[in-house]
Amino acid sequence: MKTYSWLIRREFWEFRATWLIPAVVGAVLIFAALFGRVDLSAFDEHLAQMNMGTIYLVGMAVLFYLVMSVYASWYLMDCLYNDRRDRSILFWKSLPISDTQTVLSKLLMALAIIPLVFMLAADVTSLLMAFVISVRARTFSAVLWHPQTWFQVQVLWLYVIVTTAVWYLPIAGWLMLVSAWAKRAVLLWTLLPPFALYLIEKFTQTHVVHDVLGRRLAGYAAVAYHGNEQWINDNMSEAATGPVSVWRFINPAGFISSLDMWIGLAVGVAMIAGTIQLRMRRSEI
Amino acid sequence: MPAVIESKNLTKRYGAHVALDRANFSIEAGKIVGLIGPNGAGKTSALRAILGLTSYEGELSVLGREPFRERTALMAEACFIADVAVLPSWLRVDQAIDFVAGVHPKFRRDRAVGFLARTQIAGKRKMRELSKGMKTQVHLALTMAIDAKLLVLDEPTLGLDILARRAFYDGLVNDYMDETRTILITTHQVEEVENLLTDIIFIDKGRIVLDSSLEDVAVKFAAVTVGPDRIEAARAEKPFYERHILGKSVLYFENPDPAKLAAFGELHTPSVADLFVAKLSGGVA
Repeated sequence: MKTYSWLIRREFWEFRATWLIPAVVGAVLIFAALFGRVDLSAFDEHLAQMNMGTIYLVGMAVLFYLVMSVYASWYLMDCLYNDRRDRSILFWKSLPISDTQTVLSKLLMALAIIPLVFMLAADVTSLLMAFVISVRARTFSAVLWHPQTWFQVQVLWLYVIVTTAVWYLPIAGWLMLVSAWAKRAVLLWTLLPPFALYLIEKFTQTHVVHDVLGRRLAGYAAVAYHGNEQWINDNMSEAATGPVSVWRFINPAGFISSLDMWIGLAVGVAMIAGTIQLRMRRSEI
Repeated sequence: MPAVIESKNLTKRYGAHVALDRANFSIEAGKIVGLIGPNGAGKTSALRAILGLTSYEGELSVLGREPFRERTALMAEACFIADVAVLPSWLRVDQAIDFVAGVHPKFRRDRAVGFLARTQIAGKRKMRELSKGMKTQVHLALTMAIDAKLLVLDEPTLGLDILARRAFYDGLVNDYMDETRTILITTHQVEEVENLLTDIIFIDKGRIVLDSSLEDVAVKFAAVTVGPDRIEAARAEKPFYERHILGKSVLYFENPDPAKLAAFGELHTPSVADLFVAKLSGGVA
């Protein structure tokens, strides 16, 4: 456990962008709130007022989450490649740290620590922006300052972090595998095999890889959340008149009972195991 | 006392290329051993195998462990500096100390700090801001502060000026070495380490050419400087190598009979460097 805490600290030393990027995104948004146009009158158009507050927080979460996923992917491609390129792997391997610990610490970083840092940044930014907007509008509207909404969005964040970590584990595993293997051009090697398979499928007029990859990349929301038209009609009619909790949308039972999720989890675990084996055998480039 | 390193038929292949070819050697505790060979002889492969950085065929035991399978446990008791300047550029000196202190049970922080206090290196400096010599000093401070039974150095002074090289080896012998420790060094600068070694291992084309203590070298090998008048008589004693300097010949003999050879000219024990050249060239230079 002590070793893991040092390994995570190490990642923060090496990848300073882990906190720099969310800080910059937050600063830009707060800057916009300070000098942009503030008009709270739009808040009572179609949906009930409380739901505007939820939409504000969820929108913020989505924005930070999207930036985070790009950054985490980049991190995964770099994390087992950088030290082989600058030969510092020879220093890290001279310490009593197993390759399993190294790989798992970096996976933990990408799938839990980095998302949590971005979540924290989203919260701080949301609070500061709400404060700036309220001061400039000269009204602390309950739309933006509703403890219940805030709490609901925090739980949503944690649900997103846990479920995306599981759902995208095969993607993360693949990025790490290439990061541990490639001698150069990690990004190219990451994209080349799926692209080659896609071309072969074009040629043979099959679409297995296309379907599997498509479902993995685009299918997360359908598995982890409610949201088909029928469900919305049945459950969301009161959204026009009163507050609706975001918890309504999350679908843990559907997620846990998804066969796709379990298959992906197994493939992801296999890729991480492969990454550890590669890490044992590969040293500097 | 069992050997610190014991190798039986150690073999390493890279595809069709055989880097180590059934190498047998054994290193006892308390020795300072030089592993000496030309480029591409298999030195690095041997060190990689000893340090658990690569898989291999044959039997290899280091401090009673199988290096590749038990690298983590081995690194708690052995340490190595593979080449110089492999500390990552983004790491700060104080972070490096904190990290090693955090993950290494046998690291003595006070010793590392004491060692660095004698240099001009400030703790807040990043590796990228340090000269090659300074980086080596940091790496040495980290490594020497570990209570290790085995220290492996691969070309430790490459790229250092003569003052730094001398300081390095003096520190090694005076501050670090004691009878419980074992040091294995590879270097091209044979002359530089010659008088601190207790044992030498010559390696060529993946095979061990010589594995001997320096005391035994004095008994097993002799060189005679012979004038042109007595050269034919001396050659009849079957030297394994012959070299010509300033009109005289130096003849190298294995398992010599000193009484007989003394009759041909001045008798002396060959230096490690000369012996290396003699053993690896064979015939007349």
